[in-house]
Amino acid sequence: MMNKPVNCNVAVIGAGMAGMAAAIFAANRGLSVVCVGKASEISFSSGCLDLFSRIPGSDMPAFDNPFEGIAALTKLQPDHPYAKVGREDIVQGFEEFTGFMNTSGIQYHCTPETNQKIITPAGTLKSTWCVPSAMYAGTRALAEKKKILIVDIRGLKGFGARQMAQSLKKHHPCMGSVTVEFPGRETAGDLMCERLTWDLETPDILSRFIGVLRPHTAGYDTVGLPAILGIYRFEELKNKIEKALGKTVFEIPTLAPSVTGMRTKEAFLGQLPASKVRHYPVMVKDITHGEAGFSFEVSEGIAVREVRAENLILATGRFMGRGLGVNASGNIREMLFDLPVTQPRDRREWFRRDFFNPKGHGVNRSGLETDECFRPLGRGGKVFHPKLYAAGSILAHQDWKREKSGSGISIASAYRAVDHLA
Amino acid sequence: METEVLIIGGGTTGTGIARDLTLRGISCILIDQKDINAGASGANHGLLHSGARYIFKDGEAAVECHRENLLLKRLAPHCIEDTGGLFVAVDQDDDDYIAQFPKLCVKYGLPCKEISVDAARQKEPCLAENLKAAFEVADAVVDPFMLSLDNAAHAQSKGAAILRNMKLTGFEMRNGKIHTAQVENRRTGEKLTIKAQEFVNASGAWADNVAAMAGASIPMSYSKGSLLVTQSRINQAVINRLRPASDADILVPGGTVSIIGTTSVEIDSLDDIRPTVEEVDAIIKEGAQMVPKLATTRYIRAYAGVRPLVRTAGGDGRSISRNYTLKTHTEDGIDNLVTITGGKLTTFRLMAEKASDIVARRLKNTNPCLTETETLPPSTKGEWTEPGKSPRVWMANPERRDTLICECEMVSEYMVDEIVNDLKAEGTIPTLEEVGRRSRIGKGPCQGTFCSFRLAAYLYRKGELADSQGMGQVREFVNERWKGFMPLVRDKELMRVELQESFLCALFGMEEDDE
Repeated sequence: MMNKPVNCNVAVIGAGMAGMAAAIFAANRGLSVVCVGKASEISFSSGCLDLFSRIPGSDMPAFDNPFEGIAALTKLQPDHPYAKVGREDIVQGFEEFTGFMNTSGIQYHCTPETNQKIITPAGTLKSTWCVPSAMYAGTRALAEKKKILIVDIRGLKGFGARQMAQSLKKHHPCMGSVTVEFPGRETAGDLMCERLTWDLETPDILSRFIGVLRPHTAGYDTVGLPAILGIYRFEELKNKIEKALGKTVFEIPTLAPSVTGMRTKEAFLGQLPASKVRHYPVMVKDITHGEAGFSFEVSEGIAVREVRAENLILATGRFMGRGLGVNASGNIREMLFDLPVTQPRDRREWFRRDFFNPKGHGVNRSGLETDECFRPLGRGGKVFHPKLYAAGSILAHQDWKREKSGSGISIASAYRAVDHLA
Repeated sequence: METEVLIIGGGTTGTGIARDLTLRGISCILIDQKDINAGASGANHGLLHSGARYIFKDGEAAVECHRENLLLKRLAPHCIEDTGGLFVAVDQDDDDYIAQFPKLCVKYGLPCKEISVDAARQKEPCLAENLKAAFEVADAVVDPFMLSLDNAAHAQSKGAAILRNMKLTGFEMRNGKIHTAQVENRRTGEKLTIKAQEFVNASGAWADNVAAMAGASIPMSYSKGSLLVTQSRINQAVINRLRPASDADILVPGGTVSIIGTTSVEIDSLDDIRPTVEEVDAIIKEGAQMVPKLATTRYIRAYAGVRPLVRTAGGDGRSISRNYTLKTHTEDGIDNLVTITGGKLTTFRLMAEKASDIVARRLKNTNPCLTETETLPPSTKGEWTEPGKSPRVWMANPERRDTLICECEMVSEYMVDEIVNDLKAEGTIPTLEEVGRRSRIGKGPCQGTFCSFRLAAYLYRKGELADSQGMGQVREFVNERWKGFMPLVRDKELMRVELQESFLCALFGMEEDDE
């Protein structure tokens, strides 16, 4: 069954950080937008927005000021996606993106010239640029050397309060830890963050949880909890706990699928109808293109609808997002248009022997070549299609995981692309 | 410390000797620079040979294997899955070679029964369609970890001491004898001197390094063999390719997986032994001729071991005898050192017996060897390495409200507690590496992405880790798994690596200096 075709100015393929940003930017400019993708990868995110911290493999230490870092980076690596955007693009892109999320209830704290630190469940300090308000009290408590109590919950795996307190001792000596039982889950062996998050929406369980925390918080200023304080009403829940305990409270992101990531996804999806963005949570396998633009099919239940778009933004990500894959001869390929992919000569050069080699793995820098406004190049080095753009981690010459630049590259490239096509 | 015999090397041979000697009433200490089966004893197929693999080149080895195979099935049945084995040939394999096979089996007294190609494919549907010959033999599968841990446990129950992470740093020689051995704890840096009357060098590929400390030498060559572990079990019986030894000739099932290998690559150095992309490709290509599914199946891990081969004459890794070498060193002017190296997992007991005979004679101990008649008692030391055991125990005990640390292999906090207590009782510091080796943590599809952290968090909670020790141990654990995953990354595996790097690097910043 075919539904009536839908026409739009821009189709965004992919609903990760780059796809979300591109859809928001295009909608804000009054363009009609179709966004396609499952937004499943975003559930793996910590909820923070990274901009830039480190040049992998260089002797330079991590940068406190991300813009100084980017300046040093683009001098050394003129092919890097950041070399195609100016500081203004980045700042305006972030402002627009965080502004949008703000209307959906997620607020970020950002100091323009400095990276901030959050506590990770591994007991490391992570540098990031924008910290969601649910985590921000932790960032401040670290900076102000406050007495922090980290709480974990028996049965909740991979989140060890004692591990964090012990590992961070050398940076932050005034940190304690405690393990508590989650009310109503005392007999369970395995607990999942999402389950506990729903539990806390119940007022009775919330007050019992506060009761469980209370005896341990004496002598501390700030309490760090695993990120389980609700998907939608987290500010409200946090305030209730803070008031009841008389302490500031912050969240620490957990391993995937994380509530902080889900929150980002829900905030984005929740705001789409108001922005008149049509979202299809499906995967697109085939896209045809011609002079008039692009066309592909999406399923709507048992029916199928054709989408016709003037412009298309490829924000399909890397291997997890299926933007990139491997063909029969073992080469990395782009999955939708078979665009040429810059990559190491062969599989032997994909990876380094030490997983943690600070230089990063060869395969990480593979991806699409583009012109100055992020239009992918076809074979022969010419722009593949005048109205096709690429944004985010699919771009070549970056290593977002080592640079701590994932959100920044996504937002900046999406901003630049939309700015050009609008 | 003082003892009658110091055994250097905690592989199957070393632990076998510790058991053999203690059963004769001789006291001993066993040291290993790392851990039980950290070398070749833990990096092989886990194949209990019927002997048929050796009938063309080494009849003596074939007969020994056959005898030891029968003995172990009787005396250590809990370590063995008696799967039976097949030798199969495909179209391109040599007819003369195939024709020779049953005749040679008869010559050396090995049970061998030809079955029709159809019957073989019915038994093992994974076999290639162009099969042209099949023979049933008495191969079986043995868990080398359980075998060594049980040998060590039995020896310990008779008074032996097993010291892990103890690296030999030198010998003190006096009047043509080794007087003491100097050892150093790899984890704590603590130094020890061990005085003994007799010394046994059972250090496998490191035999020459150990002998050199006493001023002797053993001309060795090192043949690296790599193997791949499939994500699910492909075959029920051991499947051997019926052709002259080549890459990827043996597919051994074990628990929930199958293992295909090996290669034979001559190497010069024992540092950083790891499988390569080239070896992985070669194994898959060759293996798929016999079992086509090997070309498309997913693999969870590759690993490599070093065959310690003693050079007797020229020849490459495969043509040098797989039979063991037993050397007394009296001709080197050392009266109390025995080196035993080479050989096979299948014949470890026999090798231990021969080495122990010499040691016992020198100590004027006339008690007979008992390992040929006495059952190997199952211990609890290796119980959590057994595939499928952890999920069974976890499901059967819901009242423990037992949290899973490794979801792939279903290893829980309760099991980690057991292993930790065991290690501590033996004086070993329970690190991620040690707990990992005694369980199936990290051995499933996630290969340590989640479980390494969960285990560290749990060990912190229990007070077994302090300060920032955990981070180093997680790095070490992840890198050890990475070693075996990196050469396998071809397509879908890229997703897993990306996910892992997103956590470990993008979120945790583990690649950055800690300061």
